[in-house]
Amino acid sequence: MCAEELDFITKYDLLGCIQCGRCTGGCPVAMRTPLRVRCFMYDTQNQERLEELSERPEIWDCTTCYTCAARCPKGLEPLEVLIGLRSIQIEEGRVQPTVRDALESIFRDGNPWGSPRAKRLDWVKDLEVKVLEPEAEEVTDVLLFICCTDAYDPRVMKVAQSLVKVLQAWGVDFGLIGEDESCCGSEVRRLGEEGLFEMCDEENVELLNSFNVNRIVAISPHCYNTLKKEYHGLKHPVLHYTELVAQLLEDGKLQLKGELPKVVTYHDPCFLGKQNDIYDEPRYIITRIPGVEFREFDRCRERSLCCEGGGGKMWVESESKEERLAEIRVTDAKELGAEVIAVACPFCLLPLEDATKVKGIEEEMRVADILELLAEAL
Amino acid sequence: MNMVVCVKRVPDTAEAEVHIDASGKDIEKSRLSFKINECDNYAVEEAIQIKERLGGTVTVISLGPKENDEVIRMALAKGGDEAIRLEDEAFAGGDGFAVAKALAAAIKGMEFDIVFTGALADDDGYAVVPAALGELLGVPHATYVKKVEILEDGKRARVGRELEGGLLEFLEIDLPCVLGIQTGINEPRYASFKGIKQAAKKEIAVKSAADLGVDASEVGEAGSWAVLEKFTPPVVGEMAEILEGDPEETAAKLAAILKEKGLV
Amino acid sequence: MKDIFVLIEHRRGEMRDVSIEMLCGAAGLGGTVVAVLLGKDVDAFAEKAAGYADKVLYVNDPMFENYNSEAYQKALSALIKEHNPGLVLIGNTAQGIDLAPALAVELGAPLVTDVTALEMEGDKPKPTRQFYGGKLDAHMVMKDADLYILTVREATFQAGEPSKSGEIVKVENPVKEEITYRKFVEYVEPEVGEVDITQSTMLVGVGRGIREDKNLPIVEELAKVLGADLAASRAVVDAGWLPADRQVGISGKTVKPKLYLAVGISGAFQHVTGMKGSEVIVAINKDPDAPIFGIADYGIVDDLFKVVPKLTEKIKELKGL
Repeated sequence: MCAEELDFITKYDLLGCIQCGRCTGGCPVAMRTPLRVRCFMYDTQNQERLEELSERPEIWDCTTCYTCAARCPKGLEPLEVLIGLRSIQIEEGRVQPTVRDALESIFRDGNPWGSPRAKRLDWVKDLEVKVLEPEAEEVTDVLLFICCTDAYDPRVMKVAQSLVKVLQAWGVDFGLIGEDESCCGSEVRRLGEEGLFEMCDEENVELLNSFNVNRIVAISPHCYNTLKKEYHGLKHPVLHYTELVAQLLEDGKLQLKGELPKVVTYHDPCFLGKQNDIYDEPRYIITRIPGVEFREFDRCRERSLCCEGGGGKMWVESESKEERLAEIRVTDAKELGAEVIAVACPFCLLPLEDATKVKGIEEEMRVADILELLAEAL
Repeated sequence: MNMVVCVKRVPDTAEAEVHIDASGKDIEKSRLSFKINECDNYAVEEAIQIKERLGGTVTVISLGPKENDEVIRMALAKGGDEAIRLEDEAFAGGDGFAVAKALAAAIKGMEFDIVFTGALADDDGYAVVPAALGELLGVPHATYVKKVEILEDGKRARVGRELEGGLLEFLEIDLPCVLGIQTGINEPRYASFKGIKQAAKKEIAVKSAADLGVDASEVGEAGSWAVLEKFTPPVVGEMAEILEGDPEETAAKLAAILKEKGLV
Repeated sequence: MKDIFVLIEHRRGEMRDVSIEMLCGAAGLGGTVVAVLLGKDVDAFAEKAAGYADKVLYVNDPMFENYNSEAYQKALSALIKEHNPGLVLIGNTAQGIDLAPALAVELGAPLVTDVTALEMEGDKPKPTRQFYGGKLDAHMVMKDADLYILTVREATFQAGEPSKSGEIVKVENPVKEEITYRKFVEYVEPEVGEVDITQSTMLVGVGRGIREDKNLPIVEELAKVLGADLAASRAVVDAGWLPADRQVGISGKTVKPKLYLAVGISGAFQHVTGMKGSEVIVAINKDPDAPIFGIADYGIVDDLFKVVPKLTEKIKELKGL
């Protein structure tokens, strides 16, 4: 790697850091791992130490939740420094086998789950959904961008299926990309694989621009964030599904008939809330479901506790033996008297559901995507 | 150390359903993902680690169509220096022997200390190439290799072969030699996208049977010890009693069976 | 029909089962069955082989104390040239596969490896072997030749009772020159960990289907409520998710627990060999064609991530946990 690329001072504006410590103070994983992001803001100014710092296991503890950046009084993004250190390891090929396999799978087959492209539409096989043609003359209102996890993970698949049911109930004109759909690269970038992310950016922008649609709706906040803020030259507007569904509900075209007589709380996904200020739409949708008694977590909205599902954490296990944040989260929900934790992100759904099992409360505590609750209430 | 690594691109069927195609001699591949043969990935890593320790060169060879360039480039990105791809209609349908002959023809003129191959291929499972290639090149070989240590004089290696039960058989072998690498010998590294892009600048020399000076009758199906007549689904003994129902029901049925058998 | 040579495999004072199996299998093919034994002071093996063979060619020489492909290849090729058999059977083992391809190249004899079933058409073998980790049977047609070589998978033939009393012919070592380029050094035992799975009465075997090490807790939990130990397929051990001493299969341990519950294991031969002697085998796998169902007593075709937690729950209920 050339010296220029290694210049962290310029790349991350490190001299702007006043070492106030608000980044580490707000960092959710600092509670359970040795990660002290403030120290990295200082230490990485010494170019000669970059190699050594990149070998520290705790740089992989960061969930890229963005709390550090949101709280930085100088407008810096400390998490990016950690991603930069990860890049050094990536370029040297020294990453955990699970990370290696996920990245190789994205390069080969466009998804991190080691599955072939030909199975990308298996989740939708029992449903009738239009697959979009590139350069079609007819406009389709909505292009659904399905996250790899929704497409391939048997649990999360149900969320995507629910979205289809919900949109069909409302008569929304939508279509899918089909087998050519590829990983958005959000996790790729956060694992430090810059080159592969550039490939995702270029190829996906070209593909997405080839469709004659009014807007793109992403099911995962991670895809949403990347499409909306990190891609170059995407011509269609990008929405998260909660924005679209909240709008549909507000228009009042469809009445929800089902009842959900449960105490429901909502876990703000970092990539939807902290990073994109979408706090109200999910709550609006949940509270429109008849029978729901909604209760807020103490730590909600901007203060929401990260579940540790993002930032590449699907493929990196922390060395820490301390209680996982997702476990803290489900315990908090239980104390709140909640019976359902509603989420709006596949990377929140999986760790929180696992946490209910670890805590042995999977019988009394359901973790479900808002879409699943909504589909049941149609 | 001048090293050659032979790599194969294979469909990943470890967790996939495999269906015989209309010809009866191949499988439906459209719904499968392809990647480097697993042992070969470890072979690449072993060669590169030795190069990093002792210097030298690593030449990557693969027999197959243009799609194989993907696995070749990954090996180049990890530290390979040169690459050769053997492509010819005459190579089609070859067994391990036919493949070994084509590889031997490509390697023969080169100066090498070690030729690495995978111990066996995930698709056909022949496991023929390492020992056959050694014999064809007139050099010693060892297969199921799980430890390689180049001895100080650089003319011999101490090699551990994995036997049944995980027992390691250590032997000393003269270089040049052919080593068939077993999985688990190392931890294969990641080839970054930038690395692969850079490796794309390296030329992959494509060679036909004629380029290698091999007669078409010596390779492919014609040059094989045996050819595939047809595939059939495996003959299974008595099939398991499959418990039907949703996870709730199947789990309950299984738990009841285990209890009945006194296992719970 | 010409003679059939069967190479007797032995290691560290033990004759391997595949040798007797091949002698028994060869007896049904027609032709004189000749056991070929290379070793140092292994008279007992010669006598044992004689119970299954029409003749035993026994080369007693220090050169053959431990397997060495160079010494073996030279000796076998000399014996084959002298005695002119029509078929040579070698075990498809770490030894056999190190030896047979080089021998076949040298002799110009067609070889098929890892044979799982064998028929003869006159003097010509018509072997079946497997592709794709046991997911398909491949029926092979061999090139016409005077000599054929096959490496035979363990348990392809059944070992019966001794019924012959073949003549033991002591043969002088045909290898006169020194063995130069390959020397046996030593055997090193695999490391032993905390749990000896060969002693476990119940095992939960984990395979590639678990996808990631962080999914291990769901099977650990099942093992815990069952009172079982965890075992693993090669893929799981290679990935570093479980230690090598948990590996079941040809290059791992052979286990015979009362219950072997295979989770996300497709059932490649290499694994099955190590656990097929278990009293009750249960398999959970989402692929209905996974070979594991061919040897399991009970199977559930479904996503392990759905079934295993449910099963854990049900067993907890039964145990009143």
